[in-house]
Amino acid sequence: MRDGTILAEEIWKRFRLDERPTYLQDRLAVTRDRLRGEKGESWRWALRDVALRAEPGESWALVGANGAGKSTLLKIISRVMYQTAGKLEMAGRVGALIEVRAGLTPLLTGRENIFLTGSIMGLRRREVARRFDEIVEFAELERAVDRQVKYYSSGMQMRLGFSVAAHLQPDILLVDEVLAVGDASFQQRCLDQIRKVLSDGTTLLFVSHDLAAVEASCSNGIWLHNGEVRTMGPIRDVLSAYRGAVEGDAKSRAGIEGLIKVTQAEAVSPDGGLAKTGAQLDVNMTLHTDEPYRAWIYLGVTEGAATPIFLLNPGRETILEPGETQVRCSVPSLPLPAGKYYIWCGVYRNWTQGEELIGWQPLTEFEVYGPELDAAPRAVVRLSPLHVDAGWEIETAA
Amino acid sequence: MPVLEGASPDATVVEGKPSQAHQSAKRESDRLREPRPEIWFRRRVGLVAALKEFWAFRELTFTLAERELRVRYKQAVLGVAWAVIGPVVMMVAFTVLFNRFAKVNTGGAPYALFSYLGLLPWTFFSNSVSNGGLSLVSNNELLNKLYCPREVFPIAVIADSVVDLAIAACVLALLFPITGFAPKVEAYYLPLFLAVMLIFTLGVTLAVSAVVVYARDLRLVLPLAIQVGLFVTPVVYGTGSISSSKAFLIAFSAINPLVPVIDGMRATILNGHAPDWLSLGVGTVAALLYLLGGFKLFKRLETGMADIA
Repeated sequence: MRDGTILAEEIWKRFRLDERPTYLQDRLAVTRDRLRGEKGESWRWALRDVALRAEPGESWALVGANGAGKSTLLKIISRVMYQTAGKLEMAGRVGALIEVRAGLTPLLTGRENIFLTGSIMGLRRREVARRFDEIVEFAELERAVDRQVKYYSSGMQMRLGFSVAAHLQPDILLVDEVLAVGDASFQQRCLDQIRKVLSDGTTLLFVSHDLAAVEASCSNGIWLHNGEVRTMGPIRDVLSAYRGAVEGDAKSRAGIEGLIKVTQAEAVSPDGGLAKTGAQLDVNMTLHTDEPYRAWIYLGVTEGAATPIFLLNPGRETILEPGETQVRCSVPSLPLPAGKYYIWCGVYRNWTQGEELIGWQPLTEFEVYGPELDAAPRAVVRLSPLHVDAGWEIETAA
Repeated sequence: MPVLEGASPDATVVEGKPSQAHQSAKRESDRLREPRPEIWFRRRVGLVAALKEFWAFRELTFTLAERELRVRYKQAVLGVAWAVIGPVVMMVAFTVLFNRFAKVNTGGAPYALFSYLGLLPWTFFSNSVSNGGLSLVSNNELLNKLYCPREVFPIAVIADSVVDLAIAACVLALLFPITGFAPKVEAYYLPLFLAVMLIFTLGVTLAVSAVVVYARDLRLVLPLAIQVGLFVTPVVYGTGSISSSKAFLIAFSAINPLVPVIDGMRATILNGHAPDWLSLGVGTVAALLYLLGGFKLFKRLETGMADIA
C-alpha cells in the first residue's frame, strides 16, 4: 500500500446514548445489569456501513447536515477514535486539523506549539525546524510567535493551526470545517495551500459546509446522511444530489402560507419545454391574495441553497389586487451551464424595511440543457456556475 | 468485500431520495440493523508493538513533559522551589512531631534523614499518581483531536516527577552536613530501589489514569486514597516497628512494593546494611505485576477513551 492510501470497509460506529461524563455509579449499574443478563446500555449508531477508498493524491469532500457523522468519520480515520466494527487500513503519516485550534495549547507560545504539534505528527525536531519559517510566514504571525497562544485572536489561532498541519507534509491531510474563521484572503490562501499539498501527492479529506470551497478543492465527494452514505462519486454529482435534498428540505419547512400565497410556479422555455443555455427562460407564477398590497417581488436562481447565483426583480413596486395575479419573468438569454437549478422567491411589502409577505423560499426546480461547465484550472476557485458566450481573437504580434 | 449499495467505492452515483414508503420501511429496519458479527472491531495491542509505538512517540513524551514543566515553573514565582518545599515541610513537621511524642527506631540515624529518605520515594509516587492519574482527563483537548499512544500523557507526568525527585534529592546534600551524619558506602544499591519504585509507580499511574476517564468521580477519591497511602507506607515509621515477623514483611512488600524500597534505602544509606533480598525480590516481582496489570488495563480501556473523553 502506498503512503497516502485510505482503505475503509464497512465502518460502523456507535456511541452511548447518554453522553454525560461517566461516573462510578453508571459503571456499576451497567455491570449489575450485565450480571442480571439484561441489556445494559443503549446505543446510537453514528456511522453505518461506510466505505471509502482513497488513493494517494485524491481529494475527497465529506458533505452532509450537522450530525451526519462527518467528523466522526474523520476522527476514526485520524485514529483518535476506533470504529465499533469494520476494517480500516491506512499508510503514511496523518495530519489532522479537526476543529479550530486543534491541539494548540493556550499556555505555550506559538513557537512551542509548532514543535509540539510536529512531535505529535511524528516528526523529528529538526524536521520541524526546517519548515519553521515557512509555517510562521504563512500564518502571518511575525513577532507574535513568541507570545502565548491564549493571547492570540481566534483568527491567529486558526491560521497557526492550519499552517502547521498543512506545512508538515502529511501523507493524509484531514481538514474539518476550520476555514470558516479566517478572513476571505486567508481562506483563499488556505485553498491554494490545500491544492499545493494535493499536487505534492497528499490525500485530502475535507469536511466543510462551504460548498463552493469544497467544489473548488475536491474531485470526489461523499454525502453522509444520518451516518449512512447517500451518494458517492464525482464531486459535482454528489453536490447536486446534496443541494437537491437541501432544497427539498427548505421547501417542506417553508410552508407557502404567507400573507400572499403562491398557487403555481414553473420555469420553462417559451415553448413550454426544457430550459436551454443561452435561450429564453420564462418563470411563470400565480400569486393569490385576499387584501391589496404594494409589494416588491424578488426571484433568485440557486443551486439548491438559499444563496442565489443571481437575483431578478422588476425594479419597481407591484400593485397586487385581491384575487389572483399572474407574474411572468423572462430571461432572454439564460447564462447557466447544464445542471439542475432552483427558483427561489420572496415578496416584501417595503423595499427598505423588507417586511415579508412571502419569506425567501424555494418555489420550483428546473433543469438546463446545454454545454457542461468548463473545468476550472486547479488554482482557481469559481464562486457560481455561469455560462457566458464570448468571442476570442488571438493573434501573434508581428 | 461484498458490494454495498451506495457504499462501494466504485458504485456509480445512487439517487439520493428513495420513495416515501420505501424510506419509512427502511428506517424501521435500520434501527434493527447491526454490523455483521464477524467484522466487529477488537483492538489487540501486543507488548512489543506497544513499546515500539511508544518509542516512535518518545519526542512527544519529552515535549509534553517539557511543556508541563514550563507551564508549572513559568507561572510560579518560586519555580524550582516547589519541588523542594513539599517534602521539606513534611520532613520538618514529622521530625518535630515524632521527636517529641513518639520515638521511632531509626537504627541510630537522625530522624530528619530517616523521614526524608521515606518522603522522597513517597512524594515521587504520590505526585505521579495524583497528577498522572488526571493527565488523560486534563489533556482532553489533545486526546480528542490528535492521535498518539495515550500512555504518553501519564508517562510524561512521571518524567516530570523524576525531575522533581532529582531536585528534592539535592536537599540531602545539605541535610547530611546539617545533621552531622555521613551516608554509608552501601548507597551504591540505590539504583536498584529507584528502579523498583519507578516500575511500581508506572503501573499504578497507568491504571489510575485510564480508570479515571471512565469514572470521573474517582478523582475526588484519589487525594483521600493517597493520604491513606502515606500511612500504609513506612514513611514516618520503619516497617520494623510494626512487626518483626518475616511473613508480615513479605506480605506487606507484595502489596506495597514501596515498603522494601524505603526500608532498603534506609538500611543501605543510613545503616550500612545490605538490602533485605527476600523482601526486595518479592517487591520487585510485585512491582512488575503491577506494571503488567496496569499496562494491560490501560490498553484495554484506551480504545474507547475518545468516545467519552
